[in-house]
Amino acid sequence: MTVSINLRKVLLAILACLLLMATVARADDGSAPSAPDAAATAADYDWTQLDEDEQELQVSDPLEPVNRGIFWFNDKLYFYLFKPVARGYRVVPEPVRESVGNAFDNIGAPVRFLNSLLQGKVRGACYELATFMINSTWGLGGLFDLTPEETERPDAEDFGQTLGRYGSPPGFYLVLPFLGPSNARDFVGRFADSFVHPVSSPEYLIMKPLEVAGLQTYDRINALSLDKDTYEAIKRDALDPYLFVRNAYLQMRAARVAE
Amino acid sequence: MLTFWQKSTLLGCLMILVLLAGQGVSAVSPTEQVKSTVDQVIDVLRNSHAEGDARRAILSRLIRARFDFTIMSQRTLGPYWRQASAEEKKEFVQLYSDLLEASYIGRIEAYTNETVSYDSEQIEGNRAVVETVIHSGNTNIPIDYRMVQQKDGWFVYDVIVEDISLIRNYRSSYGEIVRREGFSGLFERMREKITEMHQASDAGAAAS
Repeated sequence: MTVSINLRKVLLAILACLLLMATVARADDGSAPSAPDAAATAADYDWTQLDEDEQELQVSDPLEPVNRGIFWFNDKLYFYLFKPVARGYRVVPEPVRESVGNAFDNIGAPVRFLNSLLQGKVRGACYELATFMINSTWGLGGLFDLTPEETERPDAEDFGQTLGRYGSPPGFYLVLPFLGPSNARDFVGRFADSFVHPVSSPEYLIMKPLEVAGLQTYDRINALSLDKDTYEAIKRDALDPYLFVRNAYLQMRAARVAE
Repeated sequence: MLTFWQKSTLLGCLMILVLLAGQGVSAVSPTEQVKSTVDQVIDVLRNSHAEGDARRAILSRLIRARFDFTIMSQRTLGPYWRQASAEEKKEFVQLYSDLLEASYIGRIEAYTNETVSYDSEQIEGNRAVVETVIHSGNTNIPIDYRMVQQKDGWFVYDVIVEDISLIRNYRSSYGEIVRREGFSGLFERMREKITEMHQASDAGAAAS
């Protein structure tokens, strides 16, 4: 008999606990809505407004007719020159192309290092400096990326982002021949960075303009050979590819500056 | 033997446990819901022998069970949604669903041989962000799904690829087209695009 009384006490205790939990859960409902409440708010909510953490994209494109012309030119250049060359270049085995990509990526480290530093991003600066030193030497000029896989790569900083960080607005949208989308701020940034980038810099490597252009084109072709038809997908999906690329670029740059 | 009192207490406990378990079932995490949809879509793309419209119908059912195209339409049109007539709204939701679906399938199709990892999720009230990464060669493509909780689960209302929100991008593009060409111009362009994309995906499926 004592056993069954104990059992009764235990069961009562469990019941009490469960009731208590249920009460607490109901009390919580005031602050955190349960599923049916959430559904009601989802239906009533004005979804035409963007979320608080999203901003309406600000677009300034006074040069649109000219930009569209250059966009058209770049488009033709892509489909009739760069893409066929990149496709032919795919005879080179993929690991080799990936190594070439690594080397181009590595040689851009001074730009990323300096801009991380200018923006006070200590972790990014340390990462860029360390990987540049290690990959340039033990990684045979950057052909091999020796960064441990679990290290998270910081965002690639450039001078356009540095200017943005210190309050410069993006300015009007620009499409550059050969180079693609940009804006007034990033165009200035690109020009400034070209003095720091080892390939284009008038210091250390000192290459002729034609050699610089050749290397930059090779970088582009190599990257295109590894790309999975990103631009083709945009052309296929977007109602107006010009607007899609413009908005995507401005959105991406705004996010990069904010990071 | 248990007394009547004991039996009824036991029964009460069991009922409460069953109720709690029932709640547990409805509270599937947003990540699990995205994962199950992505996995099923990839499975159909890889293994299904269905073609053309039949294949699209299967994929469409999977995608529409996870994406809330009405909310996506409202966000894409923004202020223009409020100006649109009931018929225009209906027409837009329909065309936009077809368009996004075709475009989503096209994107996923290119990555069927890659691995997708589900990194983390943040839940705030009835909203959630599910972070995924597609690993392709030595590049990683981050794709985030923004989701909202409704009666029957979590639904996607935006996809963010490498910091670019699909909805915000379409919001500015579509807004500009409506402003210049009105709803009729927009619908015309959308219809053309959908036909084009279906033809392209049929040709692609036939070639592979």
